[in-house]
Amino acid sequence: MSLRIVPENSQATSFSHANRTTSAPSAPGVHDTLRHGVAQSPFDAAAGKPSSAHPLEARLKSWEATQESLRMETLRRTYGIAEPVRRGMELKIVRDGEWRPLALGGGLPSVHEDILKGREDMISWEDVFTGDEMRGVPGVHDEMERKLKMQ
Amino acid sequence: MPGFDFSNYNRNAALHAQGMPLPKATSTGTTIVGCIFDGGVVIAADTRATSGPIVADKNCEKLHYIAPQIWCAGAGTAADTEFTTALISSQLELHAMSTGRKPRVVTCMTMLKQHLFRYQGHIGAYLVVAGVDPTGTHLFTVHAHGSTDKLPYVTMGSGSLAAMSVFESKWKAELTQEEAVELASQAILAGIWNDLGSGSNVDVAVITPEKTTLKRNLIKPNEKVPKQQSYKFARGTTAVLNEKIIKKSEIGRYVSVQEVPLESDKMEVDS
Repeated sequence: MSLRIVPENSQATSFSHANRTTSAPSAPGVHDTLRHGVAQSPFDAAAGKPSSAHPLEARLKSWEATQESLRMETLRRTYGIAEPVRRGMELKIVRDGEWRPLALGGGLPSVHEDILKGREDMISWEDVFTGDEMRGVPGVHDEMERKLKMQ
Repeated sequence: MPGFDFSNYNRNAALHAQGMPLPKATSTGTTIVGCIFDGGVVIAADTRATSGPIVADKNCEKLHYIAPQIWCAGAGTAADTEFTTALISSQLELHAMSTGRKPRVVTCMTMLKQHLFRYQGHIGAYLVVAGVDPTGTHLFTVHAHGSTDKLPYVTMGSGSLAAMSVFESKWKAELTQEEAVELASQAILAGIWNDLGSGSNVDVAVITPEKTTLKRNLIKPNEKVPKQQSYKFARGTTAVLNEKIIKKSEIGRYVSVQEVPLESDKMEVDS
């Protein structure tokens, strides 16, 4: 447990398309452009996988998590472990209850999650420029198959 | 990835590894200054926008609105200063509505530096933040990497050295508003004349507890003078060899005319 403010330097030194989930089931390791388009797959984006080895991207991806863990660690030291555990459970309940298909534009947190995180009075450019414009839209069946591990 | 798009980074790195030259870094040019006086603060900027060696805009606006009593002068990448100030302006307004108080200049400065620090200088916005709030008069500079200064007089941009030399030689404590406007304009003029990246006119914003006055193009030292010679031909220079007048009533002799009924067969348009 640390009181880290800024994410540590964690960018990948190498980058490979082979471990992506965008390959066809029949040809693992090869990016399936017909199914997933030229951009990053929405499943990878939703899972928070970086799309490059750029140091800034790794930093931005882990920024919120680092801030959150700092907040939780401060709460733990002030109020004891019960406080961060309660907040974590509340967040998990809200996240589990709020599932939206990617076809309807996933990615953005719900209002409830925003309130629990204390950022309901904020709007940043990540809320506007979601990066979905260049990405292919997955079908609901595709997503459910993946979710239920049928693929 | 929301916000920044990194999808081309690996491709570009691979191309560079194969010998493709990297794009050249562009040096940006601006002079912006700020100065505190008794009862308020004044910020000023030049109006030249450059794109490499080309003057892209001779009269652009580098003073950005953040809140009624908080204004910001921006140097660096024009789009980044414009967008960052607009973003912080909207966040500050939401914050002010959430807390029910007038926005503070320190809040604005903190939001800016946290935002810029997060992006590690990849957002090239070098700002002078000035404002008056219930806690007093404030003047800050914010660098692209997130460092900030709090000083009674500040300069930023490529012309900052020329402008700072004016402040260092002429600034005194307890300026009046007129003196501060004059001093800031002189500092910008020093940048306009001595820095190639700065030029054209002087914009000044005066912020007092009562109101903000934006004096756009307060000094115009680079007015375009009219051309000494006119190359327009005087009327009658070309001789008329032949003249033929066709009246509208006789136009049917030359083209076939069909009368169209006025209100029928109108084209359908979305109204």
